[in-house]
Amino acid sequence: MATTTNTLLLESTDLFDDSLSISNTSTCYKAGTTIGLDQTTGLTRLYATSETQFDPFPVVKGATNAAENGKVYIANLSEDETEFITIGIGDAVIGKLYAGDFLWMPWSPKLQHVNDIEITPSVATGINIEYMSIHNYANIYPDSVDS
Amino acid sequence: MATTIATINLASTDLLSDAISFSTTTNLTKAGSSTGLALTTGLGRTNFTTGGSAPFPGKVIYRSDDALTGGANKVYLKNLSSTPAQFFTVFIDQEEMGRLYAGDWAFFPWTATSGVKETFTVTLTLGSGAVEIGDSWEFDGIKTTSKTAVLNTFASEINAQHYPNWTTTVSGAAISFTARRAVEDGVITGDTAITGDVLVNLNGSNLTAPITAGNTNPSTRSESDITIVPSVATTMTLEHMLFSE
Repeated sequence: MATTTNTLLLESTDLFDDSLSISNTSTCYKAGTTIGLDQTTGLTRLYATSETQFDPFPVVKGATNAAENGKVYIANLSEDETEFITIGIGDAVIGKLYAGDFLWMPWSPKLQHVNDIEITPSVATGINIEYMSIHNYANIYPDSVDS
Repeated sequence: MATTIATINLASTDLLSDAISFSTTTNLTKAGSSTGLALTTGLGRTNFTTGGSAPFPGKVIYRSDDALTGGANKVYLKNLSSTPAQFFTVFIDQEEMGRLYAGDWAFFPWTATSGVKETFTVTLTLGSGAVEIGDSWEFDGIKTTSKTAVLNTFASEINAQHYPNWTTTVSGAAISFTARRAVEDGVITGDTAITGDVLVNLNGSNLTAPITAGNTNPSTRSESDITIVPSVATTMTLEHMLFSE
């Protein structure tokens, strides 16, 4: 079993009258256990030169992992503050990652196309995007092409 | 402007044959600018004790109306449970994002796509005579009784009330209402009546309160409220914080 730790720091000295400092560390476990997640897509860096939406973690037809406890990391490496990538899941838009922003969220993939994660760059002039999933999914990236 | 720094560190020595360790830091700024996000709900803690049996009712932790639509808002969530099997399911509108098991946290952007809030204007109108002291108009459970015989003053008195589901502005004898929440079906049933309104017109006046303007139909619900559903009926606790424009 693997041990993968993820830590979030949220800090500010002027958002409030008093300073803010939040620190959280957790370990990536399989759903409902203390057994570490043991698969990963690896950290991918993509230079996206199109505004076309794409699925960073395609789900194979017939696969279902709805009860799993995977984790997703996505970062927009652009240095242009006006450039963003829109993150969607299924039919919903989660939000926009502007230059330098990242997300860390759980993901329990259902059947193909049901709640796929989608990334849409705001420009076609090129944005570096990093993404990674740590999981124990069956039949997921990079085995299939999705839409 | 505030400066808020978010950092993620990810590390493992045995997930792969070589160690991985990386860190990403970002300054939380408004959309398309270098101006820091200045608004926050503060760090909140919410207990979920539902009782009953599954499926358990969820709670809307953040409503789209609470943040700027299209803004670079950020949401932080953490499951404080220490029981490995307990999890929160996180939804954006009707879409399930995933599960936060014991100790897990999430940090993600939030577009906060809000719907269209219902609006309408009521104009106090006298057919003849004057407002009677004691004339009253009730809406949204709030009853306003006129203290004067001056029409516009009565309108101001109505405007000065605090309605649980509406905000108001006044101009002369016209009071404009805007719903606090965007919902699919509003309360306006036509252009002359409102569900739940009651006008008491005493003898000596001929007062009416017709709707004279408003979007009586196009209100729509918000489509990215964040809803959290616990996995058990016993108490689970979530910590959460919203940074918004």
